[in-house]
Amino acid sequence: MSLLTVENLSVHSALQEMVAPISLQLDPGQAVTLIGETGSGKSLFAQALLGTLPTGLHAQGVLSLLGQQVAIDNPTAIEGLWGRAISVLPQEPWRALDPLMRAWGQVEEVYRLVARSDTPEKATRAVLNALDLGKAGDRFPFELSGGMAQRLAIAAARAGGAKIVIADEPSKGLDLARRDEVARRLRIVPETGGALLTITHDLELAEMLGGEIIVLREGQIVERGPAMQVLRAPQAPYTRKLIAAEPRHWPAPPAPHPGAPILTATGLTVARGGKVLFSGLDISLHAGEVVGLCGPSGVGKSSLGDTLLGLADPAAGQISRGAGLAPIRFQKLWQDPPAAFASHQRIGQGLADLMALHGIARDRLPPLLARLRLDPALLERLPTEVSGGELQRLAIVRALLLDPVMLFADEPSSRLDPLTQREVIGMLTDLARSQGIALLLVSHSPDLIAQATDRQVHLNENPGAPQAAATLQTA
Amino acid sequence: MIARYFGAAILAAVLMFALGLPLIHPVDPVAQSLMHALHPPSFESWLGYDHLGRSMAARLAAALRLSLGLAAATLLTTAVIGVALGALASWRGGWVDRAVTLFADSVVALPALLIVLMAGIILPNQPLAFWAGLSATLWVEIFRLTRATIRAQLAAPSVEAARLLGFGPFYIFRIHLWPELAPVLRATFALTFAAVVMGIAALGFVSVGVRAPTPELGLMMVELLPYWREAPWALLQPVLVTLATLLALTLIAGEKRT
Amino acid sequence: MIRALGWRLAQAGMVAFLVAISSFLMMRALPGDMVMRIAGARFGYDNITAENAELVRAQLGDPSGIGAFFGWFSGMLRGDLGNSLVSGMPVSAEIGHQLGATAQLAGGAIVLSLLIGPPLGIAAGLRPGGWFDRLTLLLAAALKATPQFLLGLVLIVLVSIALGLLPAAGHGAPQHLVLPALTLALGLAAATTRITREALVQARQSDWWRFARWKGLREDQVLLFHGLRHVAVPVLTLIAAQFVALMEGVVVVETIFGWPGIGHALVHAVFHRDVPMVQGTALMMGLAFVLVNACADIAARLLDPREARQ
Repeated sequence: MSLLTVENLSVHSALQEMVAPISLQLDPGQAVTLIGETGSGKSLFAQALLGTLPTGLHAQGVLSLLGQQVAIDNPTAIEGLWGRAISVLPQEPWRALDPLMRAWGQVEEVYRLVARSDTPEKATRAVLNALDLGKAGDRFPFELSGGMAQRLAIAAARAGGAKIVIADEPSKGLDLARRDEVARRLRIVPETGGALLTITHDLELAEMLGGEIIVLREGQIVERGPAMQVLRAPQAPYTRKLIAAEPRHWPAPPAPHPGAPILTATGLTVARGGKVLFSGLDISLHAGEVVGLCGPSGVGKSSLGDTLLGLADPAAGQISRGAGLAPIRFQKLWQDPPAAFASHQRIGQGLADLMALHGIARDRLPPLLARLRLDPALLERLPTEVSGGELQRLAIVRALLLDPVMLFADEPSSRLDPLTQREVIGMLTDLARSQGIALLLVSHSPDLIAQATDRQVHLNENPGAPQAAATLQTA
Repeated sequence: MIARYFGAAILAAVLMFALGLPLIHPVDPVAQSLMHALHPPSFESWLGYDHLGRSMAARLAAALRLSLGLAAATLLTTAVIGVALGALASWRGGWVDRAVTLFADSVVALPALLIVLMAGIILPNQPLAFWAGLSATLWVEIFRLTRATIRAQLAAPSVEAARLLGFGPFYIFRIHLWPELAPVLRATFALTFAAVVMGIAALGFVSVGVRAPTPELGLMMVELLPYWREAPWALLQPVLVTLATLLALTLIAGEKRT
Repeated sequence: MIRALGWRLAQAGMVAFLVAISSFLMMRALPGDMVMRIAGARFGYDNITAENAELVRAQLGDPSGIGAFFGWFSGMLRGDLGNSLVSGMPVSAEIGHQLGATAQLAGGAIVLSLLIGPPLGIAAGLRPGGWFDRLTLLLAAALKATPQFLLGLVLIVLVSIALGLLPAAGHGAPQHLVLPALTLALGLAAATTRITREALVQARQSDWWRFARWKGLREDQVLLFHGLRHVAVPVLTLIAAQFVALMEGVVVVETIFGWPGIGHALVHAVFHRDVPMVQGTALMMGLAFVLVNACADIAARLLDPREARQ
C-alpha cells in the first residue's frame, strides 16, 4: 500500500493558479525530490500537503495517506497527522529547536506526548546514543555544534513514528561536509521502509538522494523522471540551464594576468571581540586578479575582508596599499543586497547623491546599467521593490562608479537562485579581469571558488591552537 | 492611522480651548465671586462656577495652559538632551557609552515624582521645579531609544556601505538614521508629553504640587471633590479634560512596537 | 553573570551619589544656618549643643562647599541617614516601620497584576487580531491614559461609596489592602498584558514553535511545555523595569488611601521640608529598584541560559 498519494494537487489564489496540478505517489522505500528556484511553486506544494498555506491561498486535489483520504482544504485535519503520519525536517534546524530546552527534553516529549510510548526515557536514550548524541542530552541548543543540532532535529522530528518525511531545503546554509551528512541521514528514511519527499534547489543533494525528480518552474512541471535520467540526460532546456548553472559545470576561468600590486598585508593578526581569529597572515592582491577566500564559517573571512578595506583595525601587522590610491577605490559587496542600501531612499537618488559627492559625470551611469543588463526604470524604486539579483548588480554599478581598484565580495551570491548566481558571479569576475580590479571573493561553495577564481586563500581552523587560530595555505 | 488623526484632533481642540478662551472670554481665573458659588453651567457661563464662584472655563483654560506649557518646555529639554546623548553614546561607543548608560540607568532608578518633589524643595517656585525635575528624569527613555536605534543602524551594512562610499556623518544621519529614528521618537515624545501632564496632575491631587489658588487640573479635582454630590458637573470637568488630553496623546503615540 | 551584578553594584553606587547630591542641595535651599541644620539632622534638634555644632563645623569646613558634601555623602554610605527634622527620631528607624507597609502594598500589587495581566495576554496572543485581542488593546490603552489617582478615585467612589463593599482607607485588615493594591495593579497589568501578548505572538511565529507542532505536539502542549517559559522572560524583565513606576504609584496611592508606607511618609516629609526623611525614602526607593532588577537579572539567566553566556 502506498504511504502517500497525491492526485492533481493544485494551489490557487483568488486571482490565479499558483501551482498547476501535480500527481505523485510515495510507496515505502521511495524518494521524490522537487526541484525549482524561488517562485517555482515547490514550497507552496509542500505547504499545501502540510496544510500550512498562507491565508488567501487554497489547495485543490485529492490527498490520501495510508489509503485514507484526507480533506486537503481542511488544515486541522492535516495538523492531526503531523508527527504521527508525516514528519517534517525543518530548514536550519538550529533555529527550529527550542532555545530554552535541553536536548533530551526536545526528543523525550515527542515519545511521551505524541508516540505515547510507555518507556519514553528508554526510547530517547536509544535514539540519542544511535545518533552519537548520548552525552549531549543535558545541553541547550546553543551549546550544540551545527551537526549535532541537525541530528537532534532529525531525532525529534521522527520520534512521533511517522513513515513519511518531508524535508524542506535541508541543505540551506550548510557547508559541503554537513550537507553530505544530511543526505546520508535522509537516505536512511527510504532504506528503512519510509518515504521521503525533499524540496530543494540543490542539484547535488538531489543526485545523492536518488529516486524521482520533479523539476518545477513558475508552478508548472518542466520535467520529471528518475534522478539519474533527469540530471544526466535532461530533456527540457530549463533543466539543462539549471544544471549548467551549477558552479561545478561552469567553464574554467581564463588564464590569470595579475597586474600591479594593489594591496599587501604582512603578519596580519585579526581579532574580534577580544578573540584572535588568525595571526601571521601574509596576503597580496593584484590588479585584475580574482582571489577566492574560503574556510569554515566563523573562521574570520568577513573580518579579514573588513580589515583589508580599513573598516576594522588589525590587532597586529601591516597593510600597505598601492601609492596614490584613494580610499574610496576600495569597495565591498554584501551578502544580503537589500541590507546594503538605505531602505527609505530610491536607488537612483542614492546613486545621484554619490555622483554629486564625488563629482562623477552623470553620463557614466547609463552605460554601466546597460553593461550589467539593468533596466534604468529600476532607479525609481526602493530597495525592497527590486529582486535580490538586480539589487546585487545595482550594488556592483554603485561600486564601479568609483573606479574601484579592489572589491571585497562577501558571499555576494549566497542568497541568490542558481541561475542568478551564475549571472552575477560571471559579470563580477569578467568586470574584475577586464577593468583590472583586484577581486577578493568569499564563498562557502568550493566548486564556485574553484571555477570562478584564479587562486585561493584558505583560512583553516587550527584545532591544536587554544584560540582557534587559523593557518594559511595559498594554492 | 485613523486613531492617530483622531488623537491629533482631540489635542488640537484642547489647545484651541486653552489658548483661545482668554481672547474671547477674558476673565481672571482666580477672581472670586461667592454669590456665583457652584452655579451650574448656563448660557452666560458655559461651564459654570466653582465653590468659590470662580469661572470654571477660565480656570480650566489656565490650568491647561500651565500643564501643556510645562509639558512643551519639558519635552523640548528632554528631546535635546536625550537625542544628543543617545547619538553621542552610540556613535562614540566605549567608555563614553558605558558612562552615559550607567548615569541613565541610575537616574531611572529614582521615581520621577520623587525627583520633582526634591526639586520643589531646592528651587524657588513650583513650575520651575516641575520643569527641572521632569526634565531630569524623562530624558532617559528618549536617550535609550535613540541609542538603541542608532546602534542597530550603525551596525547595518547600509551604513558601512555609505562610509565606504565616502559619505559624511551628516548625510548618514539624514538618510540612514533619521528615517528609522523618527517614528520611534514620535511615539516617545507623545508619551513623554503625557507623562508630564499626568505627573503635574498627580502631585496637585496629593497637594504637594502647584499651590492654590493657581489653577491646576489635579488641584482643581481635589478642591471640587468635597462637592461631588452637589456639583458633580464641576468635578467632572477637570477629570474629563485631563482624560481627553491623555487619551489624545496615547492615540498619537500608537501601539508601542516591541 | 558577575559582569551584570557588577553593573548593578555600580548602579547602586551612582543612585546613592545622585540622592546625596539632591539631598545636599535641598539642605542648602532651606532657610537658616547650615551647620545648625546638619547638626540637628545628625543628633536630633533637642540635642544640639555647642560641642556638637563645633564638631560638625570642624568636619565640614565651609558648610556650603565640596567638603561638606563629602562629609554628608560619607555619612550616608556608613548608613547614617541622620534624624528626622520633624520627629527627631533616627530616619532609619522611621523608614524601617514604613518599609513593611509599602512592601505589602507593592507585593500585593505585583501578585494581582500577575493574576490579571499574563492570562489576558495569553488569551489575546492566541488569537491575534481577534475581538478579544482588540478589546484588551483598547482596555490597556485606556488604562495607560488614566492617571493612577483618578483610577483610585473611581475605585473608591464605585466600590466603597456606591457599593459599600470595601473600606476606602485604613491599614491592618486584609480588606484594606485590596483597593490600593488593585489601583497599582491595573496599570501594571495593562503593561504585562501587552508584553505577554507580544511575546506569545512572536513565539508562535518562531521556527521552534512551528517545529514543535510538526513533531506532533498540540497547540496547548506547545504553549505549556515551550511557550510559557519564553513568555516569562520578557514579563519578568518588564515588571522589574516597571518597579520604578510602581514606586511612583506608591507615592500617590498611599496618600490617597492613607496607607502608612514610605510614599505617604515622603509626601509628609516634603510638606514639612524634612530633608533627612526625603533623602532616606529616596535612597530606599532607588536601592529597592536596583535590588529588584538584580534579582530579575538572576532569574532571567536561570530561565534563559543564553543570557548567562553573554
